Amino acid sequence: MSKEACIIKGNKHGLSISIPREMDFAEVLSQLRTRLASAQEFFAGAAVYVSAADRDLEPEEKQQLAKTVEEFGLSITEPEADEAPAPAVESGKDEFKEDTLLLRRTIRSGQKIRYDGNVVVLGDVNPGAEIICSGDILVLGSLRGVAHAGCTGNVNASVFAFRLEPTQLRIANYISRSPDEKLPKPLGPELARVCDNVIQITAYQS
Amino acid sequence: MGKSIVITSGKGGVGKTTTTANIGTGLAQIGRKVCLVDADIGLRNLDVVMGLENRIVYDLIDVVEGHCRVRSALIKDKRFDNLFLLPAAQTREKDAVNPEQMEKLITELKQEFDYVLVDCPAGIEQGFKNAIAGADLAIIVTTPEVSAVRDADRIIGLLEADELFEPQLIVNRIRPDMIRRGDMMTTDDMIDILAIKLLGIVPDDESIIVSTNKGEPAVLDKKSVSGQAFRNIVRRLEGASVPFLALEEENMVKRLMRFIGIGGKS
Ligand SMILES: Nc1ncnc2c1ncn2[C@@H]1O[C@H](COP(=O)(O)OP(=O)(O)OP(=O)(O)O)[C@@H](O)[C@H]1O
Ligand SMILES: [Mg+2]
Repeated sequence: MSKEACIIKGNKHGLSISIPREMDFAEVLSQLRTRLASAQEFFAGAAVYVSAADRDLEPEEKQQLAKTVEEFGLSITEPEADEAPAPAVESGKDEFKEDTLLLRRTIRSGQKIRYDGNVVVLGDVNPGAEIICSGDILVLGSLRGVAHAGCTGNVNASVFAFRLEPTQLRIANYISRSPDEKLPKPLGPELARVCDNVIQITAYQS
Repeated sequence: MGKSIVITSGKGGVGKTTTTANIGTGLAQIGRKVCLVDADIGLRNLDVVMGLENRIVYDLIDVVEGHCRVRSALIKDKRFDNLFLLPAAQTREKDAVNPEQMEKLITELKQEFDYVLVDCPAGIEQGFKNAIAGADLAIIVTTPEVSAVRDADRIIGLLEADELFEPQLIVNRIRPDMIRRGDMMTTDDMIDILAIKLLGIVPDDESIIVSTNKGEPAVLDKKSVSGQAFRNIVRRLEGASVPFLALEEENMVKRLMRFIGIGGKS
């Protein structure tokens, strides 16, 4: 078996799948299935972009790809003409914009905030709400929904909240979810960041 | 000009219709001129809960489509001369009306009534959009269940997007025994998430079911606890400050215990 692998990454545009040039197409599909199945909930509803490096996909192959992602409730989106397709593997360097979006309200169930930069919420992020941004997330209230910081691949991004009780936390392409058993409520502000390849939460000290 | 209030929830079956009937009747009881509007087109039942089903001739769609004047579609309540119902059409779909038409209708009703209460259908689609059109205030009904609270939160967000701010919350079907055992969400838990003003708490009460079947809102029953809860809500709507029923008393003790450091989770 070749060492090559399909790379699936989430970024600000959605999900991008990159297919190595030489890889056997049947192998591509099988890898894709395994990867998507392992994190179905995470990927659900995302837009999917396929970038095949220099490889030209046959129409037949494109169709098979589309069918495969559809099995997981996804669909392939053609990148907009003037926008380059989302690169599959971003450099991971701190290229994210430093713009900051300030939200002075409670972000409620069903509301999704996407932003290229940092997001600061002066209020709560409720269960069922999502914040996704390329930079850091600061919640000056309770964070109980889903937060994805550094969504374009910045592993140095962090998530801070006065009460950090998220349903799910994502930083770059690391994911952690809340334990199924109830935890005691956090007593003070906490900070989540990636350390040793896992998302770690620590009490915040200024 | 009167005030229009939409009673909504997101989740179905949590008590919107019951609440509309009881608040409306309660307001009429203290002399306000009230019109109830059933916006649950295709699934009407406010008329049944009010015991007025047998008097329906015209409905909301007839009015909107110009088949009759508003006056002739309004049904006068059996008990109060100052309480009216505009029934929903049973045989039409929700998209037979649009928000502009609803807004016009509600504005017209507000000229004549002190309160126009709109019973909203469950869901967040067309029926919801129709029901909130023209509302000055929204009352959100929820039950102490995670899923109902989640839907309530979603609704509050949608109302904000529609520039209907500061909705008020009614928590329905509270079971003091379950709260005491710690098996039910408390009002505090819900307010913590929803961050809106609490308008009232209503116990889970058999007399609601009995009164619904009789077509006689519980608010008229002096002995019913839920009736008392609705009478309190009516007074709060009128601006009075009325303490909440002690349905969660035990919880106060627990809270105190937590405060002084005995006992863990809330
Ligand atoms: N406090 C209560 N105690 C006991 N039963 C209740 C209470 N409130 C509502 N119910 C019962 O729950 C059922 C649903 O109530 P209701 O029809 O008012 O809900 P709804 O939100 O209007 O439903 P829908 O979404 O279908 O319009 C009814 O059978 C009613 O009698
Ligand atoms: Mg109803």
